Amino acid sequence: MVRLPFAAAFVTSCAVLMLAAPARGHHSFAAEFDADNRVTLSGTITKVEWTNPHTYFYVDVAEEGGKVTSWAVEGGAPNALYRAGWKPTSLKSGDKVTIVGSRAKDGSNLANAISFTLADGRCLFAGSSGPGGEATTNCREATRR
Amino acid sequence: MMRGRAAAVLIMALLASIPAGAQWHGYPTPGMPRNADGTPNLNAPAPRTPDGRPSLAGIWMAPRIRVDLAQGLKQGETVPFTPEGRKIYDERRATNAKDDPGARCLPTGIPVRATLQTPFKIVQTPELTAILYESRTQFRQILTDGRPLPKEVDWPSWQGFSVGRWDGDTFVVETTGFNGKVWLDQVGTPSSDALTITERFRRRDLGHMDIEMVIDDRKMYSRPWSTFAQVVLQPDTELLEYVCEENERDSAKMVGK
Repeated sequence: MVRLPFAAAFVTSCAVLMLAAPARGHHSFAAEFDADNRVTLSGTITKVEWTNPHTYFYVDVAEEGGKVTSWAVEGGAPNALYRAGWKPTSLKSGDKVTIVGSRAKDGSNLANAISFTLADGRCLFAGSSGPGGEATTNCREATRR
Repeated sequence: MMRGRAAAVLIMALLASIPAGAQWHGYPTPGMPRNADGTPNLNAPAPRTPDGRPSLAGIWMAPRIRVDLAQGLKQGETVPFTPEGRKIYDERRATNAKDDPGARCLPTGIPVRATLQTPFKIVQTPELTAILYESRTQFRQILTDGRPLPKEVDWPSWQGFSVGRWDGDTFVVETTGFNGKVWLDQVGTPSSDALTITERFRRRDLGHMDIEMVIDDRKMYSRPWSTFAQVVLQPDTELLEYVCEENERDSAKMVGK
């Protein structure tokens, strides 16, 4: 299932790994993403681009009935994530992850990450210039509407 | 012999276990005044150079992101747009700043660089103060070798031409010769080739610096107006590589509304 309602249980189980969440303003968030159109993606990472000006995480999401949908998720600048404790290998191909993000306005399967939750419940900050950026201090806060 | 080899292996293993990045980010800044618990004492006095000037040297960053310079106005102030300035600004706001050159990795406005929550490093010598901006790997040279601000510029530029002088403990930087292409911030506050910017840097103590920026552009604004930034020293880190063109995909996806 690609789009899920906000799941309080999932969020409260999310241990906070990153305390600092530096934002990076590379571009106008609102020109590309809709902060009011959120998506929750549970799936498997297929590729990671640890690149400037933004990181990208590609995730395959299995929907009910077996159909697999591929999504691209934009994360913060690698510099911001690195200083917040990420490493280029923090998320790898094959990792199971749940990502909450803001959808792209052009309707494509692209989202701007708000939070990443790993299979073991650990939560990684997105370092976004939109929701999930500097105003939030943990994943529970980041995913609150 | 064996002990020596074992020690060498141990040392190599130890070295291998230290992430290379830790020697840049995470390496304790040499000479940093520290509290008893080892944390940097950001309230220590501002350091001075051998000639007695305040030293602005260090890596600085705004503690919070501000993409709109109007958020740094004095209370009761508004941006004094001319009709032309207002028209450009309103168009950019209406399209959510989708045409920002900065999103295409071109230079960003000097004022917003101090408020975007991206680190920059000041390197200060008697004749030159350089500002190295991590984001987009931009740099500026502020010349303090006695030359005046150019009265006429035959090759206007994105970042202009900067000279600096000291007014007591405040470093005053004047910049002119802009090409009018740069957006002063990320919401689209405009500039023209008539722009001059006066920045006043005052390091209050070791860890805190105020930057007042006066924007004078009579094509876009009816009078000079000022905005401010407060930046905080970033100890125990270094500038990291930022190659903006590496994977810039946003501009093609910025639909605006």
